Amino acid sequence: MAESILQAIFSGLALGSIYALVAVGFNITFNTTKTLNFGQGEFLVAGAFVAVSVLLLLAGKQMTDALLPSEVTLTRYLLSLAGSMAVLALLGVLLYYTAVRPFVGQGGMAWVMSTIGFGIIIQNTALAIWGPSPLVMPSPLGNDVIRIGGAGVLPQEVLVLVASVAVLLTLDWVMRRTKIGKAVRAVAQSGSAATLMGINVGAIVVLAFVISSSLAGLAGLLIAPITTASVFMGLTLALKAFSSAIVGGLTSPRGCMLGGFLLGVIEALVGLWHAELREISIFILIIVVLVVRPQGLLGQRIVEKV
Amino acid sequence: MGGERKHYLWLAVVAALAAAVPLFTDNDFYLRVLFLIGVNYIAAAGMNVLVGYTGQKSLGHAGLFAVGAYTVALLTARWGWNPWPAFVAAGVMAGIFGIVIALPALRVKGPALAMVTIGFGIVVEKIVSEWQDVFAGQQGIYGVLPLSLGGTMFSSRQWVWFVLLLGVALHVMLRLLLRGRFGRAFMAVNTAEVAAESVGISVYRFKVLAFVISAVTCGLAGALIAQQNQYINSDFITFNLSIFILLMVLFGGHSVYGPLLGAVVLTLLDSFLSRWPGVQHFTYGALLLFALYAMPDGLAGFVRQMARKWAPGLLPAEALPAQLAPWRLRSGTGAETMLLEAQGLYKAYGGVVPTNEVDLSIRAGHVHSLIGPNGAGKTTLLNILSGIVPPDRGSIRFEGRDVTGLAPYRIARAGLGRTFQNLKLFAGMSVLDNVKLGLHAHIPTGFLGSLLGRGGNAERAARDEALQILDWLGLKDKAQEIAGSLPYGVQRRLELARALATHPRLLLLDEPAAGLNPQETQELAQVILRIRDLGITVLLIEHHMDLVMAVSDHVIVLDYGQKIAEGAPAQVQNDPRVIAAYLGADDGTQEEEEEDEEGGAHVQ
Repeated sequence: MAESILQAIFSGLALGSIYALVAVGFNITFNTTKTLNFGQGEFLVAGAFVAVSVLLLLAGKQMTDALLPSEVTLTRYLLSLAGSMAVLALLGVLLYYTAVRPFVGQGGMAWVMSTIGFGIIIQNTALAIWGPSPLVMPSPLGNDVIRIGGAGVLPQEVLVLVASVAVLLTLDWVMRRTKIGKAVRAVAQSGSAATLMGINVGAIVVLAFVISSSLAGLAGLLIAPITTASVFMGLTLALKAFSSAIVGGLTSPRGCMLGGFLLGVIEALVGLWHAELREISIFILIIVVLVVRPQGLLGQRIVEKV
Repeated sequence: MGGERKHYLWLAVVAALAAAVPLFTDNDFYLRVLFLIGVNYIAAAGMNVLVGYTGQKSLGHAGLFAVGAYTVALLTARWGWNPWPAFVAAGVMAGIFGIVIALPALRVKGPALAMVTIGFGIVVEKIVSEWQDVFAGQQGIYGVLPLSLGGTMFSSRQWVWFVLLLGVALHVMLRLLLRGRFGRAFMAVNTAEVAAESVGISVYRFKVLAFVISAVTCGLAGALIAQQNQYINSDFITFNLSIFILLMVLFGGHSVYGPLLGAVVLTLLDSFLSRWPGVQHFTYGALLLFALYAMPDGLAGFVRQMARKWAPGLLPAEALPAQLAPWRLRSGTGAETMLLEAQGLYKAYGGVVPTNEVDLSIRAGHVHSLIGPNGAGKTTLLNILSGIVPPDRGSIRFEGRDVTGLAPYRIARAGLGRTFQNLKLFAGMSVLDNVKLGLHAHIPTGFLGSLLGRGGNAERAARDEALQILDWLGLKDKAQEIAGSLPYGVQRRLELARALATHPRLLLLDEPAAGLNPQETQELAQVILRIRDLGITVLLIEHHMDLVMAVSDHVIVLDYGQKIAEGAPAQVQNDPRVIAAYLGADDGTQEEEEEDEEGGAHVQ
């Protein structure tokens, strides 16, 4: 029993770190533009698929072939990572200019519609290129289960966790300690004041979308070996990531990370007990949390001045 | 009411044309498309009240669709109910679930609201797919009884006619509802919640009502689908359905006709491109991506814009009566001499105490001014009196009645009107509608009366009184302009008109002269005196000392949350403590102040 709980916690943390990555991406664009990409799930898919294609091309195969585990070396994996994050960064820029910029600062939720539309187009492009069948992406670390304290853990899960935590810590450090991070936070506080201080708000906002999209791409690449990449895997993952962001506090990067890990672990633990109750319990929990703390666990309460 | 007759004539023509289509085809596909348009319209029409009018974006209405569909399915297939009462029960059940989702949803805003509704939708989706014993999951429930007439089930044609009938009835009722005080109140809740409360609208109730309306129509749509298919399974209930319902409204645009346009276009697109899924989805994506860019107000907004350009006769401005009797306040003044008495009001935010043991007596018929340096706690005190900020302790009696801790809209209804320091107009609505909103609590038409079109006379009376009030303030020629487009000084005056429309016995004015030029300030002084002459007691926060001294009978001075002086203007003007508060003091007084009350000291 103890082993299976430990195991559940571990895979929960791995899955949670994926949620955290995407959630932090939501946080960055929301803070700077008060919008976020409702098609982020499709970006996740795109990240995974581009990575698989890069791996196939590196192995000298067609883009629609199947990958063998031996063809995924660590170098190639890193190259595919670079490729997919670059493509996703570009998509992020494209998303910003076509779907977000026309609606920034407007009330209403026009951007919800436009980003969903952008996502649908990405999804169908993916369908046209790769077809509906799921792609297999072997882990660069193989599939031999590692034993930690009696619990069996996949090497990819370790990789996911380590890589995400490293990225999240770096991001946290950048946001708090560097000039560019301070610029992002200044824009989040007040775009117009930031402009007056000589910060290029336009560039920061584009950067926010680049970071957000490449984080989604990274998440897709990391999760693909665990769940097998399908065109339709994005929605659920993005929805859970959004839930993490809201529960942790959409305006707080650390809140988003906390929310991601929390959700992942709870999901895994409930799954241990009754697999079919996973989603139900998570979403009921979220509703309860929001009723008690509408701003999320670490979010700041916004007081409307009268 | 020529416009009204024209509307019903057009409606009759369009409905007759739509009803005639099934006579010329027995192609099941076309009939099914028509049926789906009707069902989608029914779902979207209620959703429009929630999203378009009240501004509450829900991404979980598939859950309410499911409630309707499964209610009908379980009642008829499992428990053998007659399909008609089951259909009605589906609407009722969905309405109840509408309240269930509204209660948590009301505590949150923006993305968190989206989250709560998404959560609700997914919970329902998972329950119907996982709880196999009751809902049969993906396998589904067979043998759902369709609606029938005289023992024979509806044919495809009859289904079309039935949803058409339902759709027309819904359109007529919602249009009546939305053009009257309910529609205005929904929009007021959407644009400025605090201001809505200040005119006596319970934001809470109206949000719940909007949720319930949208829930009922979505539930009925679900029931129609289940009954027409005679089958329902969990695959119907997806997140994508929630998005589709929301999109019909967003794409259709903000208008009574928006949902119709949205339902027609999106259903047609869905049905006729379904043979080429690739093309269908690309079109769909591109439409979502660019539609609101090309048509910021949705399809309805686009049509309106075109109509304004090419056929202005279709959109006549409402004809307003030219001759009006001068405005008279209908409510009499109470006999009380002390209109409002507050005792020991105290409010702290952490270490900051903006209101510290303040006692207040407002004498009927007088103009009172509340002055003090920036940060003295004037606005907080006003917010406490009008119920926006609950005091930590202390009591407020208004006309002898304890109003401490009452919701702002109740206090407004009790006869306490107010304006705001930072203007809170319903900016997207006309000047006239802003003032009509002030009259909200004085229009007697109820919900059912509005739905059934019984509010015509009350509505006209309200319009006339609103015009009288505008006339009284010299704003009548601006009645049909959009409030947000007016110059600043006029907006301030409009807010005053709206507050007067609530028929207040005590009017709280929060820096009414802020941003006004000297001439406008002078005019304001005259207006305040005229308001007093109407028998309305005034409590004024102001920094313009000329104005304060000119109009006040009584001046109250606050500093660091405490009342430091009060009395006649001249008396207060010479009070050393007041002078010290405004100009700084020599050391002696300063120390005395500090010893006086530690709790009152605060930063900035």
